Amino acid sequence: MSHDKSSPDHLYHHFYDVDQQYETSKLGMWAFILTEVLTFGGLFVAYTIYRAWHPDMFFNANLLLDVNKGLINTIVLIASSLTMALAIWAIQLNKRKLSLLMLFITFLCALGFLGIKYVEYEHKFHLGQLPGEYYSYMGPEVVQQIHDQEKIDSYIASNNIFFDKETNRLYTMNNPHIFFSIYFIMTGLHGLHVAIGMGLIAWLMVLTARGRLHAGYYTHMEAVGIFWHLVDLIWIFLFPLFYLIG
Amino acid sequence: MSEEHHITPLKTYLLVAGTLFFLTAVTVWASYIDLGSFNIVLALLIAGTKAGIVATFFMHLLWDDKKNATIFVGSLMFLAIFIGITMTDTEFRGAVNPEIKDPINKRAAFYNSLPLTDDHGYPLDKEKNHHEGDKDHH
Repeated sequence: MSHDKSSPDHLYHHFYDVDQQYETSKLGMWAFILTEVLTFGGLFVAYTIYRAWHPDMFFNANLLLDVNKGLINTIVLIASSLTMALAIWAIQLNKRKLSLLMLFITFLCALGFLGIKYVEYEHKFHLGQLPGEYYSYMGPEVVQQIHDQEKIDSYIASNNIFFDKETNRLYTMNNPHIFFSIYFIMTGLHGLHVAIGMGLIAWLMVLTARGRLHAGYYTHMEAVGIFWHLVDLIWIFLFPLFYLIG
Repeated sequence: MSEEHHITPLKTYLLVAGTLFFLTAVTVWASYIDLGSFNIVLALLIAGTKAGIVATFFMHLLWDDKKNATIFVGSLMFLAIFIGITMTDTEFRGAVNPEIKDPINKRAAFYNSLPLTDDHGYPLDKEKNHHEGDKDHH
């Protein structure tokens, strides 16, 4: 790489040289990543607590999620992570057009991810598989008839019991509304990150197209890249924790 | 600038992505095998491996100044403390006060759309008397 050491345009006055400027930007980005890990961390703690308290709740409500959609989204997101990394690789070699193409593919993958998420959410909204008090779905996946007379007391203790007049039988369900509270807040916050990432990638495309970014100066792309890989990294945990249980 | 930024070879990126796709297939495959409580452990091990690969190669931590990796690993350590200390509370509440062992004991709102049972979950009609005797613990 050929940094002009004298004083390139992109060197801000409060930095000693471009190297220090680059390292400082990355350090700042990693400090932000730390706050992101802890933000999602709080939600992972909520997940862990409820999973430990009510494993059955997760196993039952999990049946309402579509593994295939989750798997497709995982593949889409890993592919987008690869193209993001390749966009940085291309700009490092001063291949601006290739970099632009890679950013565009990344953008499309992000769009595809949100599209699939929209289909998933829309379906759940339609069926009433919603968080907390808005939950209304009473399908066979979550509602089980109680056959074991001895278990009735324990279901009564947890208050998850109701009586169907038509069949004249007792039924129970394992708090799927709580599962969906956790599901929607975690995937929703992650989806918000994907949307923000799309905006940032669009910004990178503009900067690259205008020639602002090149082999000597691509800090923006490196920083957004770190953010985008974090989005991928979080989904890597969300996918098995929500879609692959039970 | 004393040294140039590391430019990772294309082959490395493709290999990394290939590994991530492979591990995704493995974790889906493993979820269909009943390993009992080991299922979740295996899923988290695979996810952890994938996350490690993403951080090391895609996020360039391997070639960065180690201060960045230190921050990232530090965030994971704080997360472990967060989860660990919280669990020492939530997992052992029943040991001190059995009354608060079951945290979800209020009827969820959607159960109210089924006004078919009394407050204790017993049917409101004829079967009520049948169960009347054994609900004293509520």
